[in-house]
Amino acid sequence: MTSTQKDDKTESKTGKTLPAEDGITSAIINLLKKSLAEKQVEAIMIPSKVPDTEAYTWLLLQDESLLALGNPLPPVMTVQGGKALSNVTKHGDLQEKVAAVMRPCEVQAAVELLKLKQIDLDHIYLISVDCPGAMPLRDYVNDPEKTAKAFEEAFSTWGENESVRPVCQICHQFSLPAPQQSASSDNSLPKTEANFPAADLHIGLIGGDGKNVFLIPATTKGQDLLDNLDLSAEDSMANWESKVEEIRERKLNKRKAADAEWQAKTEGVDNLTAVFDDCINCHNCQSACPVCYCQQCYFDSQLLRLSPESYLERAEKRGALRFPLDTLLFHVGRMSHMALSCVSCGACEDACPMSIPVGQVFTMMGNKTQEYFAYSPGTDRNEPLPLQIFEEDEFGEVETPREGAEAPKEEAEKNV
Amino acid sequence: MNGHIGVYVCECGPNIKDRIDIDKVLEDISSLENVKVAKRFPLLCSNDGKKFLEEEIAKEELSHLVVAACSPREHEQTFMTVCVKAGLNPYLFQLINIREQCAWMIPDKEQATAKAIQYIRAGIQRVAFHRPLEQKEIDSIPDVCVIGGGISGLETSLSLAGRDRRVYLVEKEDSLGGMAGKLSKLLPYQGSELSPVEAKIKQAQDNANIEIFTSSTVSDVRGFLGNFDITISTHGESSEARKIQAGAVVVATGFGLYDPGDDSQYGLGQIDNVFTALEFEEMLGKDKLLLKNGKPPKSVALIHCIGRKELGYCSKVCCLYSIKFAHLLKNTSADIDVTELYTDLCLPHKSDQAYFDEAKEKGIRFIRTGDDVLVKEKGKQIEVEYDRNGQKDSVTVDMVVLAPAMVPSKDTATLAEMLNIPLDKTGFFKEIHEILDSISTPIEGVYIAGCAVGPRDIPESIVQSQAASGKILSSLIPGKKIRPEVKVSEIREDFCTGCQTCLSICFYGAISYDPIKDISVVNEVICRGCGSCVGSCPSGAIRSKHFTYPQLYREVLEALR
Repeated sequence: MTSTQKDDKTESKTGKTLPAEDGITSAIINLLKKSLAEKQVEAIMIPSKVPDTEAYTWLLLQDESLLALGNPLPPVMTVQGGKALSNVTKHGDLQEKVAAVMRPCEVQAAVELLKLKQIDLDHIYLISVDCPGAMPLRDYVNDPEKTAKAFEEAFSTWGENESVRPVCQICHQFSLPAPQQSASSDNSLPKTEANFPAADLHIGLIGGDGKNVFLIPATTKGQDLLDNLDLSAEDSMANWESKVEEIRERKLNKRKAADAEWQAKTEGVDNLTAVFDDCINCHNCQSACPVCYCQQCYFDSQLLRLSPESYLERAEKRGALRFPLDTLLFHVGRMSHMALSCVSCGACEDACPMSIPVGQVFTMMGNKTQEYFAYSPGTDRNEPLPLQIFEEDEFGEVETPREGAEAPKEEAEKNV
Repeated sequence: MNGHIGVYVCECGPNIKDRIDIDKVLEDISSLENVKVAKRFPLLCSNDGKKFLEEEIAKEELSHLVVAACSPREHEQTFMTVCVKAGLNPYLFQLINIREQCAWMIPDKEQATAKAIQYIRAGIQRVAFHRPLEQKEIDSIPDVCVIGGGISGLETSLSLAGRDRRVYLVEKEDSLGGMAGKLSKLLPYQGSELSPVEAKIKQAQDNANIEIFTSSTVSDVRGFLGNFDITISTHGESSEARKIQAGAVVVATGFGLYDPGDDSQYGLGQIDNVFTALEFEEMLGKDKLLLKNGKPPKSVALIHCIGRKELGYCSKVCCLYSIKFAHLLKNTSADIDVTELYTDLCLPHKSDQAYFDEAKEKGIRFIRTGDDVLVKEKGKQIEVEYDRNGQKDSVTVDMVVLAPAMVPSKDTATLAEMLNIPLDKTGFFKEIHEILDSISTPIEGVYIAGCAVGPRDIPESIVQSQAASGKILSSLIPGKKIRPEVKVSEIREDFCTGCQTCLSICFYGAISYDPIKDISVVNEVICRGCGSCVGSCPSGAIRSKHFTYPQLYREVLEALR
């Protein structure tokens, strides 16, 4: 695995407007067909509907004719795209160019996996799309037609739709980060104006009214792809950019409110335990999570097996012991392992058979811990994981000064 | 885990006996399932005590040994040696501190006894999970890597190289000699003998035990005294990296010259015929003390102390070489007018005062000025304005020679980080003790010599080089063995996903990545057992050999029960 994927960003948000006479999906599919046909890429990775079913899956395809099955924005997120992509390059670089079309959070997960050396992006063009959210998997399974229809509506109610998943409702990473300061000047919100967007090429839908799509290159790699495709398209991004910022502001505020709400709901062991009361320890959330990359999860391993005597001892101390053991330990442990890289994709919440709001809790935890390190997961390939670098002056907020000692450094200084 | 644990409580004279009810301890401990025997003894660290333990281990066929006595810092080694003698792996042993941590700090005997029992029980729980560990022994490497091929590097290399000891001399320029090699006539001799620097270069080149790398730098260093892994990178058309092993490193990277800047008061780079001392040395070497128009100068001003105020230190050598320049200029023509402008004069050696007096006798003028010296163009000549005792004055000359301060050479900061050695306020390498040890660093096996440590002249640099060599010769004896840390980390292949988080955390550079297996691997010789990697691995793939999860968990669980 290569450890660095140095690439430079393109300065301004310029791009091309592509007419979408037959609809957005058609426009995107045709674009991909073109890149395959002109040999700009050798394969495409795209979500696709399984024929004669309602199911969605990822396809890695080289046969142009099968592209018709593709749907860059399915109503649900089944397997997280970053996870699917990492399976392709787990044992080495592809050597052939692949274009992968995904939701922004899936691209971000891929970038986090890059930092964890679980994916190789050398020959992959990451293409993200403006995302209105995804529908709860449970809803789709129960009533695919109704849910798919509700999803269609989400394209006209950007940022205000309440039928998409809760984590999607508060997601501010639904589009490309703005080149300038984030709309909100509140330092307590996570930085969205990262140095560097994660994707190579972004497809903007907002402001296009379904008649146009905007193709925005975000890296020189993406620019090259766009240039080589030789599209006859105009340059005009203004409409898209301003609308995106408007929606982002709204969502950031929602996110702030959600964080406060979940912090209150999970404060203290008793509250936290209550949230996870229904948990059956199936570890689905961990399997579905794209960032959980361990060969074998620590919490599934022998390391946590204890002797029957230990169990009896504990049961004696507390009166009773519920099995499987250590539910809270699993969740808190998983949090401590991946909260800094959590991209709030919600795959965990979709996967939970007990409908525990695990995605929302982890999002809140992720936001808060990422704030401490001023770290934005998956948005800058060159930003190192906080755990892997040492700064002498950091994390002062959590240090409690001894009596008479100086107070820790001001919060304002930390978020510079 | 055969359950044949022997527990021995030391009375430690009156220290433990009087403050802890040892019989009560034994009564409690004997009742434990896996404890085969629990006894007391007056003084276990005595010869009798050690003999007793040795016999007990054999007699009772103990699988593990637990001793409850003083601090491990006192006698852990002692009892480990006993184990070895008795044929028991010394890591199947635990020393419980019931002296400093119980007897000596708890006045109430009942409480102290209760705590002692708790501690010993915890220790017994732990020791049951100990695994036998092997103490490796490796040969220390007598070879030395010298960074910097100037006079200090050359002297160090020549002092060290021998049949049993190879020296790797790494020089970043394409030739040896450094700054001293650019000087033409070294004081105090001024004649036509072969430059001492040239002589040393030749000696080094002819020495079969010195391997010279020019146009090369050291790009990676890891390890410790007796066992450094060093990567030497050679630039040029075929850039290659060579990995060598050495037992010690000597940093002799020398100095650079202070650059007053493009628009300084000294006119360097703007006014013709304003030269630095180094440029003047070059001209001296070619016997061409001429102006830019090819004519010899009729008047010269030598300005000392350039940068002394800004940097805050005196560079020691400039006054002497400026006087040398003055003498040499006078040698070219008796009529040449030479003025030396200085803010302070530094004449420390035995023969310096006489040299200075001689200069004055030759008519060389020495003027002590204030800080503000201004060099301006005046037609085809140069005017040097200065203030002296509050009065403004000036001298008009054909040529100006500046004596800039010595500054740390460019790679100093990079090397300091690579070797983990500190720099002081001036940016030069920081010696461990300015008076008593000006060549050692806090890192054992890494030495500093010459101008890399600060401004000094060649005799001093030579002495330092010899001192560093002396330290190495006495400590890095060929054939000496090193016993690296035993309680190191190990990575279980099946659990490792090759994310390399541990690699980026390891302070010692002891972890490397295996791209074929896609896992990280611990170098057990360089690893110091700090455990940072263990904490960083989310999979739990890394564990410390002697601080495993079951060991710690059991110990703490029992201690808190």
